[in-house]
Amino acid sequence: MGQTSLVNDDPPVVRVREFVKRYRKLKAADGVSLDIRCGEIYGLIGPDGAGKSSLMKAIAGVLSFEGGSIEVFGQTIDSEAAAEKVKGRLGFMPQGLGLNLYPELSVEENIDFFAELREVTPVLLAERKRKLLAMTRLDRFLDRPMKLLSGGMKQKLGLVCTLIHEPDLIILDEPTTGVDPVSRRDFWTILTQLLRERDVTALVSTAYMDEAERFQRLSLMFGGLVVAKGAPEVILHDVPGTLVELTIAAQVDALVRLEKRFTQVEAVGSKIKVFVPDVTPQAASAQIQELLTGIKIEQIQVEKPRLEDAFIALLHRHHLSGKEEDSPAEMVWRDGVPPRGDGIAIVARELICDFDHFRAVDRVSFEVRQGEIFGLLGANGAGKTTVIKMLTGIRPPTGGAGTVAGADMRRASQSVKERIGYMSQAFSLYQDMTVQENLRLFARIYGVPGRQISERIDRVIQLAGLGPVCTQLAGKLPMGIRQRLALACALVHGPLVLFLDEPTSGVDPIGRRRFWKILVHLARVEHVAILLTTHYMSEAEHCDRLALMHAGKVIADDTPAALKTALEQEAGQVLDLAAEPVLSALEALEQAGFTDAALFGRRIHLLVKDVDEATARIRAWLSERDIRLLDITPRAPSLEDVFVYRILQQERQEATL
Amino acid sequence: MNSRRIFAVAYKEWREIVRDRLFLSLAFVVPVSLMLIFGYGINLDVEHIPFAVVDHDKSALSRDYLHRYIDSRYFAYQGDLASEREIGPLLADSRIRLAIIIPPRFEENLMAGRSVAIQTLIDGTFTFRTSSSKGYVIAINAAFNSELLGNYISQRLGIPLETAREMAQPVTAELRYMYNQEIKSVWSIATVLMMFVLMITPPFLTALGVVREKENGSIYNIYASTVTRGEFLIGKLAPYVGISILNILILWLMVARLFGAPFKGDPLFFFLASVIYVICTTGIGLLVSLLVRTQVAAMMMTVVVTVVPSVLYSGLLVPIASMDPAGQFEAHLFPAMYYTDIILGSFLKGVGMEQLWGKVLALLIYAIVLWTASFLMFHKRPKS
Amino acid sequence: MNSDWYILRTRLGSWFSRLMAMTAKELIQFGRDTLLLFAIVYLFVFDTYMAGNITMQLNKAVVVVHDADHSAASRELIYRFRQPYFKLGGEVLDNHAGQRLLDQGRALVVLDIPPDFAHDIKKGTSVDVQVQVDASNAVLGFLASSYTAQIIGQYGFDQALTSLGIDERALENVPMVRNEYRVWYNPNQKDTWFMPISELLVVITIMGIMLPAAAAVREKERGTIEQLLVSPLTPIQILLSKVIAMTVVILLGTAMSLFFVLHGVFAVPMKGSLILFFAVTTIYSFTTAGLGLYIATLSRNLAQAALLAILVLMPMIFLSGAWTPPEAMPMGLRQAMYISPLFYFIEMGYAILLKGAGLDILWDSLLGLALLGGLIFGFGVWRFRRQFK
Repeated sequence: MGQTSLVNDDPPVVRVREFVKRYRKLKAADGVSLDIRCGEIYGLIGPDGAGKSSLMKAIAGVLSFEGGSIEVFGQTIDSEAAAEKVKGRLGFMPQGLGLNLYPELSVEENIDFFAELREVTPVLLAERKRKLLAMTRLDRFLDRPMKLLSGGMKQKLGLVCTLIHEPDLIILDEPTTGVDPVSRRDFWTILTQLLRERDVTALVSTAYMDEAERFQRLSLMFGGLVVAKGAPEVILHDVPGTLVELTIAAQVDALVRLEKRFTQVEAVGSKIKVFVPDVTPQAASAQIQELLTGIKIEQIQVEKPRLEDAFIALLHRHHLSGKEEDSPAEMVWRDGVPPRGDGIAIVARELICDFDHFRAVDRVSFEVRQGEIFGLLGANGAGKTTVIKMLTGIRPPTGGAGTVAGADMRRASQSVKERIGYMSQAFSLYQDMTVQENLRLFARIYGVPGRQISERIDRVIQLAGLGPVCTQLAGKLPMGIRQRLALACALVHGPLVLFLDEPTSGVDPIGRRRFWKILVHLARVEHVAILLTTHYMSEAEHCDRLALMHAGKVIADDTPAALKTALEQEAGQVLDLAAEPVLSALEALEQAGFTDAALFGRRIHLLVKDVDEATARIRAWLSERDIRLLDITPRAPSLEDVFVYRILQQERQEATL
Repeated sequence: MNSRRIFAVAYKEWREIVRDRLFLSLAFVVPVSLMLIFGYGINLDVEHIPFAVVDHDKSALSRDYLHRYIDSRYFAYQGDLASEREIGPLLADSRIRLAIIIPPRFEENLMAGRSVAIQTLIDGTFTFRTSSSKGYVIAINAAFNSELLGNYISQRLGIPLETAREMAQPVTAELRYMYNQEIKSVWSIATVLMMFVLMITPPFLTALGVVREKENGSIYNIYASTVTRGEFLIGKLAPYVGISILNILILWLMVARLFGAPFKGDPLFFFLASVIYVICTTGIGLLVSLLVRTQVAAMMMTVVVTVVPSVLYSGLLVPIASMDPAGQFEAHLFPAMYYTDIILGSFLKGVGMEQLWGKVLALLIYAIVLWTASFLMFHKRPKS
Repeated sequence: MNSDWYILRTRLGSWFSRLMAMTAKELIQFGRDTLLLFAIVYLFVFDTYMAGNITMQLNKAVVVVHDADHSAASRELIYRFRQPYFKLGGEVLDNHAGQRLLDQGRALVVLDIPPDFAHDIKKGTSVDVQVQVDASNAVLGFLASSYTAQIIGQYGFDQALTSLGIDERALENVPMVRNEYRVWYNPNQKDTWFMPISELLVVITIMGIMLPAAAAVREKERGTIEQLLVSPLTPIQILLSKVIAMTVVILLGTAMSLFFVLHGVFAVPMKGSLILFFAVTTIYSFTTAGLGLYIATLSRNLAQAALLAILVLMPMIFLSGAWTPPEAMPMGLRQAMYISPLFYFIEMGYAILLKGAGLDILWDSLLGLALLGGLIFGFGVWRFRRQFK
């Protein structure tokens, strides 16, 4: 299998031409065309509202559409009856963590229902169930109601249910969103294994840019359009350029200068990343050094651009990025001089929260200083939201204490509450009210004096770039703008402490960068203490400090750099290798004692202490088994590597207890 | 139709219902308690109507006359008033519903063979109560008059009082109440309540159950699978129809045992007709659930289409026969009316298929229309 | 001292301003919810209108006669069964045929006039007219038998006078009590006055419970409640704003129904003070809001809330005198009616609209409702707050 075995003149499994989908006036997809070949994993990457779900539903025959044509297995899907003809060969898993499963039913009852629905014979069912459950390690939880599973387990169960009738084409809508990195790795491994065993084609969507390399081919989607398509390498090749990474003490000054010249500038923690289009690495670094004459550059590095950089460049190229109305240096917005305390803003001490069936938060402690961006990183269900709820006083802790600005929020006076801003998970503003109405409501709730309300609203509108959508209903806004509105609502009264629960989930990369720009400004210039949660590993790099949460516990807590250094000292460096066939290679490596070897797209990652010794051993071991090693390079560990390592370490510890 | 897939859907739905304990128990508790509360609570036998008197005569005869009201169980004497002026506030405050004013020289005039006019003031706000009280007053007054007339005839013609009384009342009505000898309103109400309860609960259960699946997104499993529309609808609703059938039996038992209403018809016929009715009302819930998107909307719509019509246009409180043509027309649009006739026919009248086939047919048509409409509106490949 | 007063005043001011901000928000949301608006208009306008078209009177009940006498006297009796209450449905040849018509529901009353009817009357011997009434519907059965008895009684009385040779014009000189009825408040006994008012009050109750229950559950389900709890708002403000907004909506609906349907279409007199009526409605909707909030705290999802709401609503309506007069309740339940807030509301509603009663008369009912309302609302608020502790 693999790419080489793909014969291009085979008829495509799915053939989409000029697909158009409208919801009333809103155009969800506007002329999308693509072909999916037999046996490949095809990816749809894009933010919420890009049109991914509409396209997938239309292909699965569960959504009618207004224009264009779709063929699946050579059958034109143009009516309900036509769609029925191919549904027997399809498996479809809609978006949402476990939303297509039945929460009250047990794991086994869920599987049995899907099997009965698909008329799988009992003998086949028993056999497939055994195999799939073993693979997903769900066999221990057969009788557990689905609602008590963790997010990762839910998604794996969803996958089992979708695969139980062995479809020829599986369509998975954002199967990994909000899932912890270990479960995510499992998920991809299972998928790859299954695809290898049978000639199955998969169409998978994701909001994570860093998952792109797991696909053979993909389409980058935005606003109902396909911005680029093809193999990841091909897309990167089409957007030539260089990524320059700088470490500069005078960050704000450098940012001002860089932004005047380049459109893709991003402050990530203590670093600045600049995408310089169209030039070679040498030229790029020369350009930047020239631009920053007079500012001391502590370190400068050039890297290959990531798919995200290419995506943003493409959006700029297609003029899909929206207008940038502000730059962070000009974003001073709070009245007077901000209180410049370096004091501790948020304290969590031994916080515990028990629910009926389990402990959601287990002795969590940390501190957040004024002017610091503190990230709680973890999967859905890790306990992040519960921690925020306890700190903000929404939920009483079972044990321990949390204080904000020195006060317990449950008993805090109004004046303390007025100093705090909170943005709850998902979009919880009033969708049936306009942007302005929402802002006015929160300004008045937080006691902004009547005379200042309009002025304040104008300022946050400008800050969040909401000017053009002022009078629109919040529910009609695209996800990225909604999140900025939610942030604006949390900021309208000028808080000193900000709680943000999953603020960027589902937001497009440009929107995310804008969002971070505002946060960085708030922390650096206004000295606001920010506590936020996220499940994007890539985003965690932005935080000054991080706490990694897994199953209710903080399993590591430090600055991103220190976390990585600690990993290198404990477990060594990451070896990144490509081999053919990849799954046999993975198996072989596991036999060789590299138990943490994991599939990463078509590559394998493993942690080694001694790079040279390990490289030699792997080369020998693989060639003995007739596995072709394509390349092998050491790499600095990413935060995801840190996270996976810590989770597995934690699980091992618990197993030995 | 593939029975295995139908069974799969039905079984899954059933497991889900069973796991939501509060929902499951409410599915039975609500009908039973509605029946209990209404069965004991609604009663149309108007009694103990509070009244006051203004007796300007204060004679033996006027007291005799008034005592016919005071001693009646239909009236509750609230006392004597000094003047007519006191009546107004008491009526306005609903302390009394009726006042009788006896003029001066009541006894004297009657004894002298002259007729006397008295006044009765009745609170007209609640028309049914007004007509009932008026009926009682007329009956009591008529009895008093025929006694007076008898005495008068006896005196004038010098014949025995017995004969004179018979002459004064030559025609008497011998009333026979068919089907409900003691004219117990609990019988007619408890039986009709079956209609009401089975009209309210199945649509609620169904609409909320289906919309829940739509709101959660698990409906996509159905859309994406090879289950046909018909199979899904039948399987999905089978548990709700099942619950409702169980409720039919429970309510039937309550009506017969607890409220003692006699069941005179054919049990099998009644059971089958009830099942058709339940399928019908379940169909209403199904149609609502296909029209709306959220559970709040489903709840509102169900109230609008079931609760109000089943009270007003079903014969529960207001007899269809006494409605004006517009009301009767509206009543014919709801299935409740036909089932009311079937219930009364089976319970109190003891008639069967040969008399009621038309009503069953109407229900059947109703059910077919509802289910066909739902079938046509349910798409596995919707627009959004 | 002065500055204390100033602080208190600004605190009160900001408390109030927050409350108003939230109330405005609730109203905006109401205005944008088309389905809700539709339900409100439907219930307040169309439903009260439809209720005006039904009647609880005996209306053209079908009477069939088995006349074994075929005399002038029997015919005179038969012709007394006239509209509006009765309608002659023809003659049957034997009792059996009459019975069948009753079975089929095609007749309500069967009159059986014996042979020698006229002869016996003339002789002065008492004659029995057999009347069979379909009592399977107790209301109809009761009304039909009551009217039948009246008609036959009057007929007999008239016959007696005739046979005694007393002229109808000389009734003055017969000792009898002529009862002159005067029906107050609704002299023509129009159900178009009674039913729509009753329906309006019931609709207010349904809305008063469903709206706050749905609003509270919805805010819980969507997670917006947390956003509010972190803010300086107190639970009381969150809750009060919902209740105020809902009351405004109910008052608007009531006004619509009152002016367009009750007054406009059915010409209900509206004798009393409308301000008093709206004031009572306001107190009442606070009471029902308390119940609604309580239901919301008990239920985890809307399905449960809906079923619980029905469980509360139905007995409340039935025990109020909206659909059946309180005088028709068994004694025990008549006492129980005093705990149904709708009972007070109904009494006061009729008293104000039809009777023109004022505060001087209604103060005690109003006090009862206010006490009950305060108790229920307080309890609802307490339960609602407790779930956040």
